Amino acid sequence: MSGRDDQREGHPHDMAAPSPSSVAHRFGAPAAAGVPRMEHVQVTAPDLARRAAMERTRGRLVIAAAGFAVLFLAVVGKLADATIIDPQLPRPVAQMRRPEPPPPLPPDGAIQSAAAAASHDFGTRVERAAILDRNGEIMAISLPTAALFANPREMIDPADAARKLATAVPRLNEKMMARRLATDKQFVYLARHLSPREQLTINTLGIPGVYFEKTERRRYPLGRVAAQVLGGVDVDGKGVAGVERFFDQRLRDEPDPLRLSIDVRVQAVVRDELDQAMVEFNAIGATGIVMDVRTGEVLAMVSLPDYDANDVGHATADQRFNRAVTGMYEPGSTFKLQTASMALDSGAAQLWYQYDAADVIHIGRFTITDFEGKHRWLYFPEVLAYSSNLGAARMALSVGAEKQREWLRRMGMFGRLGIELPEAGMPIVQPASRWKEVVTMTVGFGHGIAVSPLHVVRGTAAVANGGILLRPTILARPPDAPPPKGERVMQQSTSDIMRKMMRLVVTDGYGKTAEVPGYFVGGKTGTAEKVGGKGGYRKHTNVAAFMSVFPMNAPRYAVYMMLDEPKANASTHGYATAGWVAAPAAGRVIARIGPMLGLLPATDDAAAIQATLAVPLQPGKPPGAHQPPLLIGEPSRPVPRPPTHVAPPARDAARAPGRMPARLPVMAPPPRDARHEAMLAPGPAPVSGRQTVAVR
Amino acid sequence: MSLLERRLIRDTSFDFTAKLLRVSWLYTLLLCILAGVGYAALYSAAGGSPEPYAAKQTLRFAFGLGMMVAIAMIDIRFIARLAWPAYAVGVALLVLVLRMGHVGKGAQRWIELGGMQWQPSELMKLCLILALAAWFHKASWERMGNLLFLVPPALAVLVPVGLILKQPNLGTALITAMLGGTLFLGAGLRWWKLALLVAAIVVAVPVAYHHLHDYQRARIDTFLNPESDPLGAGYNIIQSKIALGSGGVWGKGFLQGTQAHLNFLPEKQTDFIFTVWAEEFGLVGSLALMGLLGVIVLGGMAIALRCRNQFGRLVALGISMNFFLYVFVNIAMVMGAIPVGGVPLPLVSHGGSAMITVMLGFGVLMSVHVHRDVEFGNSQDEL
Repeated sequence: MSGRDDQREGHPHDMAAPSPSSVAHRFGAPAAAGVPRMEHVQVTAPDLARRAAMERTRGRLVIAAAGFAVLFLAVVGKLADATIIDPQLPRPVAQMRRPEPPPPLPPDGAIQSAAAAASHDFGTRVERAAILDRNGEIMAISLPTAALFANPREMIDPADAARKLATAVPRLNEKMMARRLATDKQFVYLARHLSPREQLTINTLGIPGVYFEKTERRRYPLGRVAAQVLGGVDVDGKGVAGVERFFDQRLRDEPDPLRLSIDVRVQAVVRDELDQAMVEFNAIGATGIVMDVRTGEVLAMVSLPDYDANDVGHATADQRFNRAVTGMYEPGSTFKLQTASMALDSGAAQLWYQYDAADVIHIGRFTITDFEGKHRWLYFPEVLAYSSNLGAARMALSVGAEKQREWLRRMGMFGRLGIELPEAGMPIVQPASRWKEVVTMTVGFGHGIAVSPLHVVRGTAAVANGGILLRPTILARPPDAPPPKGERVMQQSTSDIMRKMMRLVVTDGYGKTAEVPGYFVGGKTGTAEKVGGKGGYRKHTNVAAFMSVFPMNAPRYAVYMMLDEPKANASTHGYATAGWVAAPAAGRVIARIGPMLGLLPATDDAAAIQATLAVPLQPGKPPGAHQPPLLIGEPSRPVPRPPTHVAPPARDAARAPGRMPARLPVMAPPPRDARHEAMLAPGPAPVSGRQTVAVR
Repeated sequence: MSLLERRLIRDTSFDFTAKLLRVSWLYTLLLCILAGVGYAALYSAAGGSPEPYAAKQTLRFAFGLGMMVAIAMIDIRFIARLAWPAYAVGVALLVLVLRMGHVGKGAQRWIELGGMQWQPSELMKLCLILALAAWFHKASWERMGNLLFLVPPALAVLVPVGLILKQPNLGTALITAMLGGTLFLGAGLRWWKLALLVAAIVVAVPVAYHHLHDYQRARIDTFLNPESDPLGAGYNIIQSKIALGSGGVWGKGFLQGTQAHLNFLPEKQTDFIFTVWAEEFGLVGSLALMGLLGVIVLGGMAIALRCRNQFGRLVALGISMNFFLYVFVNIAMVMGAIPVGGVPLPLVSHGGSAMITVMLGFGVLMSVHVHRDVEFGNSQDEL
């Protein structure tokens, strides 16, 4: 290192002035540079001592540098080990973190013992069983407490007793106690929920005539998280809402903890994101649901505003209101998934069908329009991707009122949910007698019917999971339980196509903001105008929801995020629609809970997986196939009925025209829009190339 | 060292321009490169955006750089005179944070100042280095053998270590103790005395473990076997290791890392920023970054060797050691080699107060370099 020469040859400070030669030598320039190094130095004893210390320090410094180098090399070795020699692969972790089946509670498990400690041991047995989440986290637990009562007649000096009690336990109110003790009764309550320590303190006072009654206090360690799901208990420990109320008897009768399907981690994430979105868009409320589409288990159910479950008594009605199951909202465009599935499954639609969305529809006193419409004929996938009300209305019309009602009934949209929550409500549906053509059309795009968010989630889960409708449940499935028996509501092939449709909405449609790389999110936006006081719709008061499922190649979880009356802001370019306010929140939730639930993003083979889900916005028509005109009233001209061969097998009977009253003008496929013509291959010639990608 | 510096050697005129030219601009360039790495990693951690991390970090670095040069202009003898007052302030801040500090993440170690949250323990480390260096500046070999002479500096180490332990912040306390030990050794403490001390500590460890907080024990247990608790404390380490493993030799490419981008890694912009870098640039990129960090540490040691006064040497050694400990603990932690301990990667991790503290240290280091040749005896009256 430089500077060594100087150390040996003398201290620089001893020189009168810097000489050129010493400058040359300063940085360890070779001494043999031609200039003799002759310096007159006076060395004093302190100088020598100082130099010795410096020498020593230099030796130590070199050792320290060597030590650093060795430690660095060790870290480098470890780094090489972690990156290339023995890289840790994500796979086993994924299995480790898979949330289901829920791990059984071993008799000696930590959770069990925690719950048991509160319910069995130490003579502190409590009456009400604990509530756990699917992973064993405690959501509700009872702690033993004591209620203080007194018999004033046995007391020597009630006023003194009150003073002593208030001194020993400061939170007790001396005046109140003195007043109660001054009566001539034989029994007065003085305090509730004394802790064991307070009980002990009072016992040591030795006041005659005071007694304790064993009570217990319900605690919810997670506070606001899952408040509406848990509900709460009243002062007597009786369930007043939610799970506490539904399972009130069970929680009293059986000491074993009740295991919910809720995953508190997921629940907290959904609540967090909803809360942020609600603040950002100044919404009056919000709700979010995460459901396992294969079992119907609800992993998260959030409704905002919420309350602290420990203090349900002070919660307002708005806070207690569980929007996820009690709130009945017009589902809006999320319902187009139902309409599209119904049309496909009944054979009334094929992927390459087109629907007239060029002009608004006037029917009765209603006008149906598209939000930012394309003003042309739309292909079946485009109706969903661009969320066309007109297209969905015509699609619903092509199926017919009777089949539509039958479909919705089987999808559970007309009845209660069957979930274990007392708040689960009844949808608001027009009776059959009033289910007019206009209702068929509006329900086609999710208006004129009001269902709970969980209804939408359940219906969409059936669309995505292969066509099985499941009963949503709040209870965790036992690990050894057989797969839940659902009801098949559509053909597998319909579900397969719909999965691609849902994916298309996120890749090419209004749901782009929900995309999370590697998770193949599929979904549908839904912005419904809220009904105003006078029977009309309020233009700028929305319910914005995003109904998503991921991953679309093998659906596992449905994520529903809804904001009630969001306000547009600068970041959304003035829109308060679902694609701007709800879909991004859903995307963030998926990005956060995916890893928690053991789903790793498939980024390596993303292109291959996406290819299996891809479907063109404007699918080609198979050669010779024709879309039957959607006829209202009598057929106006003969339509060649081609022998089609596109799956699902065509059911011509289902398409039989003529069951509708003649209200709307005859609709025929020929495009009227120049832009649209440009996009079509000229004439009836088959559009080859596209048809190979057509979904089957 | 630049040509310019060679010409100015032994210039006794310590005017401003001369000092400015004597600043090691090569070393400054290294720090800028490191901050550039930080910018890239933070840009990536934010999903390919300068907001919310990278842009702010650059501003802070620019501020820190200015501060560093400003401190480099301060005479090292003046800094030495300030050493003990600074130490007193550091201890006072530690006491203050215990009394009224902001309780965050289960510990009371933050203090709110100037819109940022500061950890006085970080500042304390720098003050301790200065104080010990000032003490040992006057130490002769004989005095280093005198136990009575060693008692005050030992107390000077133990007081802040005890206060930091009380916060509680086990990791920083250990690092502070190691810093103190390094300075003792650098000053010429006999090896066998240190060996004795280390032996005593090894014996004390099981006892100490018994008194640790549950979360501290959990960290150590998790360290010993991270896979035992994949849902809990070991999660970060496992995800971090997966990210490192998925990077491979060449990495996934800038902005292509999935583990880091998809929120597998909580706090990725702070303590786990190395993972973001390693996943995207692989072993090669990590080695390059570690090489850069290593050069910065050894550069600090070179400054120590070049310095001609004991105080400057010890300060440079302490600051290099402090930087090294940051780097070593952070990277080793990310790779699961030592327990997770909330230590950022200096100049790379997102965080204002850490950046400022580190640059403060580099400022003092640079002052040592600038004033390497000043006359600075070790007699009592000079301190």
